[in-house]
Amino acid sequence: MHHSGFYLLIAVIVLLIFFRRVWPRLRANHPTKPVVHRSIKHKSFYTVQVFSRLNTRRFFRDRLALFFGILFPLIFLFVFGGISGGSKNNNVSFRVAVINESHSAFAQQFSHQLSTSKTFKINKDATTLATAKDKMAKSQVDATIVLPADFGTVKPGQNYPSGEAKVLYSQNSVSAGQTLTTVLEGEFKRVNAKFVSTQQPFTAVGQQLNEKSLTSFDYTFAGLLGFSIVGLGIFGPVNVFPELKKQGILRRLHTTPLKVWQYFTSTMISQAIIGLISLAIMFAVAIAVFHLKVVGNYLEIAIFLVFSIITILGIGLAIGGWAKNERQAAPLANIIVFPMIFLSGTFFPRFLMPEWLQSITYYLPLTPVIDGVRLLVTEGKHLTDIGTQLGLLGIWTVIIYFIAFRVFRWE
Amino acid sequence: MSEVILKVKDLRKVYDGKPAVDGINFEVKKGEIFGILGPNGAGKTTTLEMIETMREIDGGSITVDGLDVASQPNEVKATIGVQPQSPAFQDKTRLSEIIELFAAAYGENVDPMEFLNDVKLGEKANAYVEQLSGGQKQRLSIAAALVHSPKLFFMDEPTTGLDPQARRNLWDLTREVRDKGVTVIMTTHYMDEAEILCDRVAVMDNGKIIAIDTPKNLIQQLLKRGFKKEQQVEQANLEDVFIDLTGKALRD
Repeated sequence: MHHSGFYLLIAVIVLLIFFRRVWPRLRANHPTKPVVHRSIKHKSFYTVQVFSRLNTRRFFRDRLALFFGILFPLIFLFVFGGISGGSKNNNVSFRVAVINESHSAFAQQFSHQLSTSKTFKINKDATTLATAKDKMAKSQVDATIVLPADFGTVKPGQNYPSGEAKVLYSQNSVSAGQTLTTVLEGEFKRVNAKFVSTQQPFTAVGQQLNEKSLTSFDYTFAGLLGFSIVGLGIFGPVNVFPELKKQGILRRLHTTPLKVWQYFTSTMISQAIIGLISLAIMFAVAIAVFHLKVVGNYLEIAIFLVFSIITILGIGLAIGGWAKNERQAAPLANIIVFPMIFLSGTFFPRFLMPEWLQSITYYLPLTPVIDGVRLLVTEGKHLTDIGTQLGLLGIWTVIIYFIAFRVFRWE
Repeated sequence: MSEVILKVKDLRKVYDGKPAVDGINFEVKKGEIFGILGPNGAGKTTTLEMIETMREIDGGSITVDGLDVASQPNEVKATIGVQPQSPAFQDKTRLSEIIELFAAAYGENVDPMEFLNDVKLGEKANAYVEQLSGGQKQRLSIAAALVHSPKLFFMDEPTTGLDPQARRNLWDLTREVRDKGVTVIMTTHYMDEAEILCDRVAVMDNGKIIAIDTPKNLIQQLLKRGFKKEQQVEQANLEDVFIDLTGKALRD
């Protein structure tokens, strides 16, 4: 199941190596033939195509950009994935010592079953009651299960084995001990039914309704994808544009007939390509290391991510395009980005916020990104189910790009 | 009579109530190398920027090859090539890609090698721009400004900061560009450069053109007014010595 994650990761790494190492050499050996077309039918699109191609290529040549674009989000994934306990998910397990004082066949079989169960982690060192107590005192085990000498023997006047297992626990692990007792009682109930067929007129059966219940990692992952999109889409242009203005590179481009929309579109295309690669690596690691279960359709996820990148990139284009220098760009970006990151549920889920705050933050541009990712990736929804998120993103895209085009300055 | 490619009429630019360009008039003929001279703050750069469509025109009009700059900026942009004072390019970009990029900005697909060879950078086609020297960057910048075969080419202080060899090379390049039929308009602070290179020069001060003629005529007019240099003119100067000692070959 998580092999797919490894394969995805390997595929992406191979692709990266290919574009950084192999492709340039192939090109050097076979220089592109001079094709001279003085008149091109769709000049505007040719312009956009060349600009986005060279933009993307430049990213993969720049080690610093690669670090911040690809490795940096991964570090966050490991840090926050580790905190949210993604690898364990909702599997509760108990560290127990098993003291089997009985020699009955049933007791042997029962203790063997315990050792194969996922719920119990048997501490093999604790073989006597004394060592088990010592380990409980040091919190190395949560509880000790004692099977007494008469456990599992057939008592006189009965035709089935019986016994009473004891669960010993210390004061500092009361809840673990009690839960363990309940778990064992449940186990015995099933066993009992096999030996004594008594009618049970009233029973209660617990049933898990939603197989795909969300773990905290699912929330963390959607938030981290959002964070990564913010990093690429906002901090990218905010850092680069003022530098381009300072060196007069944008001004130089302005002496050519290049249009703002052509420049924006090419930036969009290259950021979408870079973003998809970066996010694909995050997916691969999340699947391989943190057991993320992707139940949604990858194509739909990719389409939604591209849309999200374009929307969020607009904020970066607006800030970077407006700012004359980094002294203007950095504070403005921080004022906008940091509240948005926290209020949109990047690092902790929005449902933990007070309701009035939830209803406000629902409309932030990053919220539909994070919600949409979670709905598609972990809840198996389709693009047709997340119309609200797409609608919100659409409205924001119009607003953001309207502003970005209005405030853009070439120098 | 040669054709007029640039016509500037009553051109005005006002900054904070002060006239930076104060109603200037001049014409540039096709195939000329035209110099605009003057001290800092005279209005040279502002004038150039208005012609290049980069600054709003506050008064008067500019016509480039029959196109009105104020109302047809995009057509004018496609007709002119601009070489900025300090050329800069985004790093991690190969020289051939710079040419490709600039051609694409004009919607054209060209052979980068052709343009790089013209400025003697063919061997460096696959190098990154950050590996170039100052003189090489200037040459790349010129190549990039010519990808769309402009009719009018602007150079803003092209030789500032270059060594004598690179300067001489740039003069040759400028003449080559002119010989291809491109009209060149340049600013410079080096009078020897203007004297050697320019067919005609305009001298600006305080936003006004105070003289416009060929360098030779301007010198003659000064001499007629009875001007005499205090020192005796030597037959060679220190730059001649420098070139004689170090040779004319380009170093970069």
